[in-house]
Amino acid sequence: MVQLAIGVTSGMRLEHILELSQVAERHDIKRVWIGEDITAPHDVFVSASTILLRFKKLHVGIGVTSPLVRNISTIARAAESLSEIGNYERFTLGLGVGGLQDLQRLGIKVVKPRDALRDATVLLRAMWKGKTLTFNKGNFQLRLYQARYASNREAPIFFGVRGPKLLRLAGEISDGVILSGPKTYVKKAVHLVREAIRESERPARNFKFVLWLPTVLVEKAADLKLVRNTVAYVLADTPRKVLELAGLEYEEVNEIREVYHKHGIVWASKLITPSVLEKVVIQGDQQQIVEEFKTFEKSGINEVVFGPPYGAHPQTAGNELAEFWMRYS
Amino acid sequence: MSVNVNETIHETVGKSVLAEKLGFDYVWVSDVPEQRYAPVVASAIAARTKRIKIGLGLLSPFVHSPLQIAGSVITLVETYGERFELCIGPGDRNQMKRIGINLTHQRGISDDLLAAKNEIEKILRKRRVDCPVWLGAQGPKMLRASRFFAGVLLNYGSSELVKWAVDQVGQVKNRNFKYGIYALSYVYAKHDPKIHKLLKVSCAVVTLGATKTVLEKLSLAEEVAQANKALENGVSLDLIANSIPDRSMESFSIHKRSGELGAYLAELSGLGIEHVVFGYPQNHSKQTIRQLSRALNLKP
Repeated sequence: MVQLAIGVTSGMRLEHILELSQVAERHDIKRVWIGEDITAPHDVFVSASTILLRFKKLHVGIGVTSPLVRNISTIARAAESLSEIGNYERFTLGLGVGGLQDLQRLGIKVVKPRDALRDATVLLRAMWKGKTLTFNKGNFQLRLYQARYASNREAPIFFGVRGPKLLRLAGEISDGVILSGPKTYVKKAVHLVREAIRESERPARNFKFVLWLPTVLVEKAADLKLVRNTVAYVLADTPRKVLELAGLEYEEVNEIREVYHKHGIVWASKLITPSVLEKVVIQGDQQQIVEEFKTFEKSGINEVVFGPPYGAHPQTAGNELAEFWMRYS
Repeated sequence: MSVNVNETIHETVGKSVLAEKLGFDYVWVSDVPEQRYAPVVASAIAARTKRIKIGLGLLSPFVHSPLQIAGSVITLVETYGERFELCIGPGDRNQMKRIGINLTHQRGISDDLLAAKNEIEKILRKRRVDCPVWLGAQGPKMLRASRFFAGVLLNYGSSELVKWAVDQVGQVKNRNFKYGIYALSYVYAKHDPKIHKLLKVSCAVVTLGATKTVLEKLSLAEEVAQANKALENGVSLDLIANSIPDRSMESFSIHKRSGELGAYLAELSGLGIEHVVFGYPQNHSKQTIRQLSRALNLKP
């Protein structure tokens, strides 16, 4: 049965992160995912720790952090520290390339992303085993490095990826995938990953499919404005191959992308039509959202993530949706 | 006192709770590339303590960007209140090499640190977060640069070197500027050879990573160069520690009988030192922590 999770980002106000985590715990929602906003002055690992420390039943996933913005040893030890706080049962590390525009703003050029994610995963697992590592390729350099904190326990690693090559890599080596993108793309993405799992060295492993789309509880028409900015940002960052997989008309989306890059998010959001919203956002009242979430189970999704932007009042929207989900389930 | 992030978080938090109970003012959480991630450990400590201040660092801006460092502080302060202080510095050169960061021939490190500090403070100010930023310093260039920070944490134990370092800092315009030391420590009522060995090996590590200027001042440059070569060739640290002269331990650590501590601290106070961080292996056990608190005559 598909599970419900709550999504937050590290750029949100801390009180909202904790309020929504409380919603999750109160309604027996198993997991909170924290997406990293690499341009915001908050540490995603510290944010994750505050949830793990305060809410003893919640599972926390980072969805996602990029191995291109930190030294790989930092990610390894932050993840290990969080796993330890969560008793090696309540933490999942999500890796992804990162938002291309955010990376550009930080002066980071993305070269060979598939190699970067593959190498990062291999190195992290080796570090957690306490191996002494020397590695000098691409984005990562280590010289006789040994993690002295190593517990020999691996945190699950999920990939937050979209393009076909990275989806196949997820199926090949990760423990799960966090999918985002147009709705028509989701089923195809699951299919690609499943093919890669079948061909991998561990085809029988317990692989998880997580779906994280912009979601908004709509009580009035104005609530849809909340999500237009998010959609403009997401579409501006979505690779062309993903749009093709989704069967989206490139021209429909291209104008939004061009205006975004030339004039910014506010102007681009004005071009988001109801038709585009329908293709990329989970929206409606509680029943409509829950029913739509449930339909993704048929596509192979194990877990669906609610929000952001949630609705006019995030905590209220979270509560209402969670209550409806419990009744519906 | 500092806590040892090589221990489990459970142990580290337990010792921090004890430190608070015994009356220590600060616990410092160091950030070392081969150990647990200090900001997360600091979060765990803050969640279980109420009053004790938490020093974060030394964090290296060559490992973490100023935005990431400021982000850690902001998240901690917004969650747990203004109980945090930050120390930045280049980090141990040998440890940096192991994660692909080569500081050996890099010019302008002190300028880079100053720029990082300014960036960090700018981000903190924007979020209205008040957190003093210290510089962890050892060599002359870094000591001179420390004038522009909230304070300097000197990586020395001997009063002679502390005096030299304070002189190197020079004239400071900031009237609230603080001088502190952050040194390996073993203060004891009854000497334990096992702890002494831990101190000796740790001093060897600090010595091996010390700057050329400091090593030349201590007439240790040649021995250390040979020792570093041996380390790279796979000789064990324990063996290397035995080859390094005892004066390195005198220079880089606080190694005193309990009864000697008062006079030592009075001497440091005379040099302007207001903040003393007793580092590893003083935090080895609850017993060694209690020994220190008794020697300091702390009021729980």
